[in-house]
Amino acid sequence: MNRIGTATFVLLLAGCVQAPARVDSMPTQAPDKSYSVDLPIGWIKQGSPDNRTLIASRNGFLLEGMHISKRPIKEAFHRTKKAATAQMLPAELAELEIAELKSQDQFTAALTVEQNEPAEISGREGFDLRVRFKNTRGLEIQRVVYGFVDQAEYYRLSFQAPMLYYFDKYYPDFQKAVESFQLAAARK
Amino acid sequence: MAQALARGGVIYDSEASTAYVQHVMERLFPEFKGHIYVAIVKSSQLNAFALPNGRIYVNQGLLVRFRNEAQLATVLAHEGIHFTNRHGYQEVQSGKDYAAFGAIGGMIVPILPQLMAVSSTYGFSRQMETEADVQGFARLKRAGYDVHESPKVFEHLIAEIKAEDIKEPFFFASHPRLLERVENMKRLSSGAAPGGDGASTTAYAQTMAQVQVDNLESMLSAGRAKSALIMLADPERLVELPPQAQYYLGEAYRLRGAEGDVKRAEEAYLKAIEGTPEFAPSYRALGVLCMKANHYLDAQKYLERYVELAPSAPDLKYVESYLKIARKKSGGTP
Repeated sequence: MNRIGTATFVLLLAGCVQAPARVDSMPTQAPDKSYSVDLPIGWIKQGSPDNRTLIASRNGFLLEGMHISKRPIKEAFHRTKKAATAQMLPAELAELEIAELKSQDQFTAALTVEQNEPAEISGREGFDLRVRFKNTRGLEIQRVVYGFVDQAEYYRLSFQAPMLYYFDKYYPDFQKAVESFQLAAARK
Repeated sequence: MAQALARGGVIYDSEASTAYVQHVMERLFPEFKGHIYVAIVKSSQLNAFALPNGRIYVNQGLLVRFRNEAQLATVLAHEGIHFTNRHGYQEVQSGKDYAAFGAIGGMIVPILPQLMAVSSTYGFSRQMETEADVQGFARLKRAGYDVHESPKVFEHLIAEIKAEDIKEPFFFASHPRLLERVENMKRLSSGAAPGGDGASTTAYAQTMAQVQVDNLESMLSAGRAKSALIMLADPERLVELPPQAQYYLGEAYRLRGAEGDVKRAEEAYLKAIEGTPEFAPSYRALGVLCMKANHYLDAQKYLERYVELAPSAPDLKYVESYLKIARKKSGGTP
């Protein structure tokens, strides 16, 4: 077993990470039941222990995957230490996302914004951002991020994959997931 | 590492700027022409580093902090000595610098960003850094540069590091303490005759105009408003920058978001419009500012002007949605 496998096994034993599970039916409920989303059948999904993140992948999380998360808007972004506010326009939220990604390393710092426009997700006004960057091997990676604020939470749905083969193949699945995304009825 | 940097798309693609920096390097190291190459890295961080193969990398962010060519030459001379004195190989032999080892041995590529950070952070031994200072200074003098500019490089950076509260700037992390370096460079230059080449700030600012603009955009889009303000809020530097710099000053205030920054941003945007009336982004910025302050008529006016000037702007869909709101709220046709 490699080091990553060993670490995952130990964490699973300790109950720190939820075990990955195959998506068998639709919709998938958020770990904290705050939303539902149609993840593609046959993909592998995994929730975070704090119930704030749900990830799903077809071929492996390090290759390509969806990432759906929510967090309090007052919580600052990890790298830029900037926080969203309820008054922010969708374009300003997208600006925070770009800044966070650009602050990751020298490679993402050189990213190109392919598309940045308003979007509606589960009836909320948000943004639809598409960026492209190269990794250290020169492989082009594309990331799509949808984001919006609902009450005191910032929601983001993202998909990332190499441009070579994977992005075009699985992007339609992500689009379907975004279209199916619904905040829980009580929160509407 | 050099290949990964090129493949990763992080090299700043400006033939003119690169040729200029390369020219300065060749003036300092004429006998190494064809063996020493400088590239500009698309990064607003204060950093420069040398690889053992003769590739010298200078970040955009550091380039635009210099006030003149003599200051640029100070750092290039220092980094050039690391190459000519084979400091990278020596570090590998001593087994101290894992990053240098990675650079030479072609270690695992996926951890390259971390390696680059390690390389810049740990740098070379203190003895090698001092050697690069002393011998670099001699190169500077021999090439005819105004050596009295060299301590100023570090004085400016000290001010910036204090203002931005940077704990460990990469370039200087393992170099002798910054203050010690200033003292060192002052000591070296104290006996030198006054004068020399490369002290003109205007000529340097003109040469670096595009790099300045690109770096400001890069800094602001990475959310580094405080760093941008250090340059832009300095009236002496602001006059050296292209006229649209007032727009970037406004953006830096808006992004910083401290008390009074909205007013400061508004003033800067208005000055930008006054100085460069055809520069579209200032109108969009003012329009959004007015909309957020519920001044819908003004918002409409500025946003319409933006659409007029930039009919194919990438953020047009956002602006159209703002215009719809502004028109509705101001009683016009949505």
